[in-house]
Amino acid sequence: MTVELEAISKSFGAVTVLHELSLTVAPAEFLVLLGPSGCGKTTALRMTAGLESVTSGRILINGEDVTEVAPKNRDLAMVFQSYALYPHMTVAQNIGYPLVIRKLPRAEIERQVRETAAQVQLDALLERYPRQLSGGQRQRVALARAIVRRPAAFLMDEPLSNLDAKLRGHMRAELKHMQHALAITTIYVTHDQIEAMTLAHRVAVLNKGRTQQIDTPQRIYDDPANIFVAGFVGSPPMNFIAGDMAESRFRGPDASLPIALPETRNRVELGFRPEDCRVVAPDSPDCLVGSIYSTELIGDHVLVTCRIAGQGAGTLPGASIVVKAEKTFDREIGTRVGIRVPAERTYLFDRESGERLRAS
Amino acid sequence: MSTRRRARPSGIFRARRLGSLSPAGACLVYGLLGFWTVIVLFPLYWLVITSFKLPIDVAYPPKYLPFLDFQPSLHAWRYIFVDLGNDTRRPYFNSLIVASCSTVLAVLAGSMAAYGLSRIEYKPRIASILTFILLLALTSAAIMFFHVDWRIAGLAGLAIFFLAARALARRWRAHLGNSDILFWMISQRILPPVVAALPIYVMFQQLGLLDTRFALIVTYMTVNLPIVVWLMYDFFTGIPKDLEESASLDGASRYRIFFQIVLPLAKPGLIATALLVLILAWNEYLLALFLSTARAQTMPILVAAQNGTRGPQWWYMSALIVIMIAPVVALTVATQKYIAKGLLLGAVKG
Repeated sequence: MTVELEAISKSFGAVTVLHELSLTVAPAEFLVLLGPSGCGKTTALRMTAGLESVTSGRILINGEDVTEVAPKNRDLAMVFQSYALYPHMTVAQNIGYPLVIRKLPRAEIERQVRETAAQVQLDALLERYPRQLSGGQRQRVALARAIVRRPAAFLMDEPLSNLDAKLRGHMRAELKHMQHALAITTIYVTHDQIEAMTLAHRVAVLNKGRTQQIDTPQRIYDDPANIFVAGFVGSPPMNFIAGDMAESRFRGPDASLPIALPETRNRVELGFRPEDCRVVAPDSPDCLVGSIYSTELIGDHVLVTCRIAGQGAGTLPGASIVVKAEKTFDREIGTRVGIRVPAERTYLFDRESGERLRAS
Repeated sequence: MSTRRRARPSGIFRARRLGSLSPAGACLVYGLLGFWTVIVLFPLYWLVITSFKLPIDVAYPPKYLPFLDFQPSLHAWRYIFVDLGNDTRRPYFNSLIVASCSTVLAVLAGSMAAYGLSRIEYKPRIASILTFILLLALTSAAIMFFHVDWRIAGLAGLAIFFLAARALARRWRAHLGNSDILFWMISQRILPPVVAALPIYVMFQQLGLLDTRFALIVTYMTVNLPIVVWLMYDFFTGIPKDLEESASLDGASRYRIFFQIVLPLAKPGLIATALLVLILAWNEYLLALFLSTARAQTMPILVAAQNGTRGPQWWYMSALIVIMIAPVVALTVATQKYIAKGLLLGAVKG
């Protein structure tokens, strides 16, 4: 089913935590709201659920205006970060609670609970209480309770953030598979860009209550709309150096590089991703020059952090640049190196507004 | 929940188990504990043996051990069960009805009020409150001094209140909050009950309800309500809101959430509160003295009545008190595990 948010805003007194968020989630789509803590993503989700009032704007589920409808009548299921399992009920009672409220016949409830529990591998634990379960199992009970009644849409508020790293990876795959199998519209809130990139059909990046970009993970990564999205998505994050541009060259205190944009403009930020640049000899033409600050072997690659030697100035510490290098990279810390940045893989941003500068 | 582990204290703060004490230490500790147990339980023991004493044995010097110091007698028990007969059973039954009904009502209404206060933000306008008090005073004055018909005065007062409160509240936006309401509730208990006893007496007299169990139930419920609200408020604020939000998305109404999610989770607090209120109602003397004469008389009144013209009849009083405290002791023992949990829950929230 379609979930539409039409310019919804939320203010607490004089503070506006969400500015006119608009998005349409298509049937069976997995949409992730991504942003740092305090960006308004959880507020947006809670407004969709009906747990927070809407200051302005409209919420439509399947074309129907539900802005003033009570949570219980919106036909949504939510998975909370804390799981919010009822501690005084068994796993089976927890999963069956939405059906009990809907006054389904006993036998029917039992059948559906068993079926759903089997889907999330909880069949052996139906008589246990939440306190007797591990974190991952509790998470699965919360999921089962959400899917048991086939709601119009799932809302998930950082459902994986209380799990340890290994289990999180596993549950991520489970979630993706389940959402695909059930084909239920899902809005998922997270601050973890890996979760966003791996799970989403589309990602909505929020910052300080404002929408930054709504697009597929691929385009969010390859074609960021502004400096915030560019810096927030990607691990390690994009490198930035400050400077001016003129005559198809970027000139900063740290570097002078050829770029693809033929415009003349002052005060810009040049961005490039760690995997797009290479460590080369320090005397190569058109490259940044610096020395190795540290090297970290990650497994299949090495992260090389370099300090750029400022041109002329020398007293100020230069910018830090991270380069993703081959795993065979083995140069000493302190070695002078050059960093080659291919002109076609760079991004330019206006330093004041943060907006992306594109060739017109 | 289970993932939260209590930090193990180390060094000098490490708690020692009783079993790991040296023999001398163990003797000292158990000696002290035993001594305190005797101090606590001796009055109960004295009560029980006094109920088996003849008047002569109650006199000075004290006699401590049945069969050795004195010969136990059943005369007091025969008196309260055979001679008094119905006059014991009726107050006992009254006490049971009054205490249990008032407790159930107070806990039900009080926990609902406490839940409302813990989850919904109320903003009573100061303007409305002042208007209400002023008009209440004016209406009373009109009835008392100017002999206006009370129905007309009441209706007029109410009508003016709604008009004035709306107009004033638009101008004057200052308001109170939930903590003020909560304090107002508990402030009702700051007043000594004897101050309220006379107006309550007059009210029930006018209503023709003196010496009825109904009057006592209503009074005890009202008097105990603030305690229930105050205690339950604390328990409810300790229950995570996530659970209720989850239930509301699952399709549950406010009432269903309250009765199926919140109340079961607050059970320890609920039982501890109910027991406290029950004991207060069970032992209440002053208001019962005002509101009951014969038919609705409760046990505390009957016990006090044994201090009559012939002087205090310790033996009858003791027997009556023994049967009076028996159900409370039984109930406390039965709900002990909840009370311990309830006390803890109040102390460390979460």
